[in-house]
Formats: sequence, C-alpha cells, structure tokens
Amino acid sequence: MNALPRFELFTLGDGEKAIEVVEDTKIPNAATIRVAKQDHTLANMIRGYLLKNPKVLFAGYKVPHPLEPHFILKIQTDGTATPVEVLQEVCTTLLTLVAKIEGKFKEQFQQKELEVGLEEPYGAPGGRLPRGDYTEPRRANAMDYLDF
Amino acid sequence: MEEPTLRIRELQKDRVDFVMSGVDLAFANSLRRVIMADVATVAIDMVEIEVNTTVLVDEFLSHRLGMIPLTSTNCEEGMRYKRDCPCLGFCRYCAIVYEIDVRCTEGEMNVTSEHLTMIPPDQWDHDEEASAAEDILAKRGKNFGVPAGPATDPDPQRKPISLVRLRKGQALKARCIARKGIAKEHAKWSPCSAVGFEYDPHNKLRHTSYWFETDEKAEWPLSKNAIEEAPPGDVFDFTAVPEQFYFDVETTGSLNPQEVCMRVRLPVPACAWKLTMQCRVWQSCKISLLR
Ligand SMILES: [Zn+2]
Repeated sequence: MNALPRFELFTLGDGEKAIEVVEDTKIPNAATIRVAKQDHTLANMIRGYLLKNPKVLFAGYKVPHPLEPHFILKIQTDGTATPVEVLQEVCTTLLTLVAKIEGKFKEQFQQKELEVGLEEPYGAPGGRLPRGDYTEPRRANAMDYLDF
Repeated sequence: MEEPTLRIRELQKDRVDFVMSGVDLAFANSLRRVIMADVATVAIDMVEIEVNTTVLVDEFLSHRLGMIPLTSTNCEEGMRYKRDCPCLGFCRYCAIVYEIDVRCTEGEMNVTSEHLTMIPPDQWDHDEEASAAEDILAKRGKNFGVPAGPATDPDPQRKPISLVRLRKGQALKARCIARKGIAKEHAKWSPCSAVGFEYDPHNKLRHTSYWFETDEKAEWPLSKNAIEEAPPGDVFDFTAVPEQFYFDVETTGSLNPQEVCMRVRLPVPACAWKLTMQCRVWQSCKISLLR
C-alpha cells in the first residue's frame, strides 16, 4: 500500500525539475544532464541526433535503474558550442522533424482515404480525425456549388 | 537536414501499414514507442463488484473489464486526467461510469462487452460547480466511451468481447469507472494491439545473424518488405546505416489508425519542447550567476 501513484512514473512531481545540468569539471566542454520522468523514447532519439551534429564529440545516455524514471545524458562538444546549446539545437531539429512527419501523415491519410473512397467506415467508429485545418462540418441544408 | 518521407501502403479501419525514410533508426524507434505507449485512451480503471457468483474471481473480472477497448476518439482533448481534475473522486470530465448487471436464469449464457451499459453523467455527477467546462464534452468523438464492437462497427461479422460464461443461477453485478490514461501506466490504455517494425529486410547491415539447421535462405524466408529494397551486392558496406523503416500499426478499436499516428506530435514535442525551454531557463540562470 505504500506504492507511489502510477502516474508519477511519467509526470513531474511538485517542484521537481525536468532537467538538471551538471558541468563536468575534469573534461572540457562536457556536461551531464539529468532528465526526469522521461525514458528511452526521448533519450535515444536525442542521443541519435546529437551524434549527427558535427560539433558533438561524444553523446551517450543511460537509464541508471529501470525502476527510477529518469535518464542521464552525457555530452561533450568540440568547444564551438556548449553542451546545452547543442542539446537545444537538437531538440529544435526534432521538433521540426516531428512537425514534418505530422504533415506527411496528414497528406498521406487524406490521399489514402480518397483512394479507397471510404470515409465514414474508416476509423474509430464514427469519429472523424481532428485536423489542424479542420473546417466546420457541413450543415445539413447548407448549399454549396456542387449542389446545383 | 534530410527530408523525411512517408508512404502509406495500406489503410484499413483498424490498421495502417507505412514506410518511413529520411529519419534515424533512433527516431523511428521512438515513434514506435510513442505510438504504443504515449497516446491517451479511455479504459475501465476501477470496478466495484456488488454481486459475483460467476466462476471467475473479482480480480480476474476486473482485469478483463479493464482490457475492453472503449471508443476514445479525441480523448486527448475531450477528457481530463484524474490527476488534473479539480473534482473529488470522479466527475463527467474525468470519468465514464458503466454498470453491468447480468443474471443467468435459463441454461447458459455469455457475458460480453455488450452488457456494459453507460450511465448518463447526470445520474452520478451532481457537482454543479464543475459544469463550467462544457466545451470539453463537445470535443469528444461519436460513440465516446462505447465498447468497440458491434455497436460501433458496421461490419456484421464483428463480435462483442467475451467476459465470462454464466450457468443457471449465476450473476454478476458491478459498477465500473473508466478513466483517461496512457499505456506507460498500464497496457490497457494502449491504442494498439500490435506495432510491426522492421528495417533492412535483407539483413544487408548484418545487425543480426540467423540461426539455421542446414540452409539459411530456406529457413528464413524474406519478409514482404524485402521487395522494397534491392538485394545485397557482393561487397559488405560497413558504412551503411538503416534508411527505410516499415511500420504496421494495428489498433484495438479504441482509436482509429489515423488518430494514433497523428497524435505522435503531442508527446514527443511536448517533452522536447519542455527540454528546450528548460535549457533556456538554465542558461539564463547561469548568466545571472556569473554576473
Ligand atoms: Zn473530475
């Protein structure tokens, strides 16, 4: 009965810091970043894109204990940018990438739905997918140029 | 940065098969993890059993009830998490209440997800104060909270989900409270029953080595994704990296594949965004400390 609420595995507690940065005193241009309440999903993705950045000499992450919901990211740069700056850069890259992927999904789904010619039976029963540019559903007796 | 590409090969009401390229293996894998565990749905989370004379114990039944996929169209915006809701206990914005009341009077019978009846919120939520957020309810899709099955699917072949089988005289009566959640908390909230993920179908990169009895090629037939890539040449390219990723997402019926895929934008950027913001905060702190 003394277990933590299950959602504490992925939501930040009161006053808990999402990210803590400790600069390395022995290695130049290096820092250890502790990210709370995140797992391999974010960690591996960041690590992957950090390694693609030419300013980065080293990037690696670990989840120190499977029952403790945080990960540690270690970054060393070549000195042209601080580890925090490159991390920021990578996060921005990832954000753009996710936005692009979302756009592609939208495009492809629209195309595919038309191709198959089925709109209503697709998808969870009844509900239409909310889209960014979603226009108001057509009113039953509204006129449109195709009605003539 | 390389331009990502995406091609949907097949779309069904509960399945989507797509090929992605122009991203890292790390990114593709994170996408897979997000699809499986970060998309919010509704599932039964609390069961109050009043009568249970079935052959299954209370816990067993509660678990089975929890696993029923409930229609969760636009759950992300149409419902609150319990932890974010100001109500005490539960209210119409953070819970859906069901009742199941079955008694077998003749022969044998199957109790299925069809026996679960949703109780309108007016009958259990009398909190006047909370009704300020009426627009949340308007965001919910059609059939919100209805168990995925014949009631939500026009397919005549669609069967409801079995819970337990009763004999004459046996009965089950319970009240169930469904809540919004994600699969990181419990797998019952996952919108997917399976996510297929593959790269390098010819094993050109030699990320794996196949165990075989006598003939490797005969014992390990190529997957259907192999036609998408040229078969390997004679020379091993040790600088090659995974480039194309094959996904096959199968949903449980709680969400459609479109919504499952489009929702990925929420969790990933949310945390990446938080991270960038925190970086900025941290940097400005440092600057002020130096001064
Ligand atoms: Zn509430």
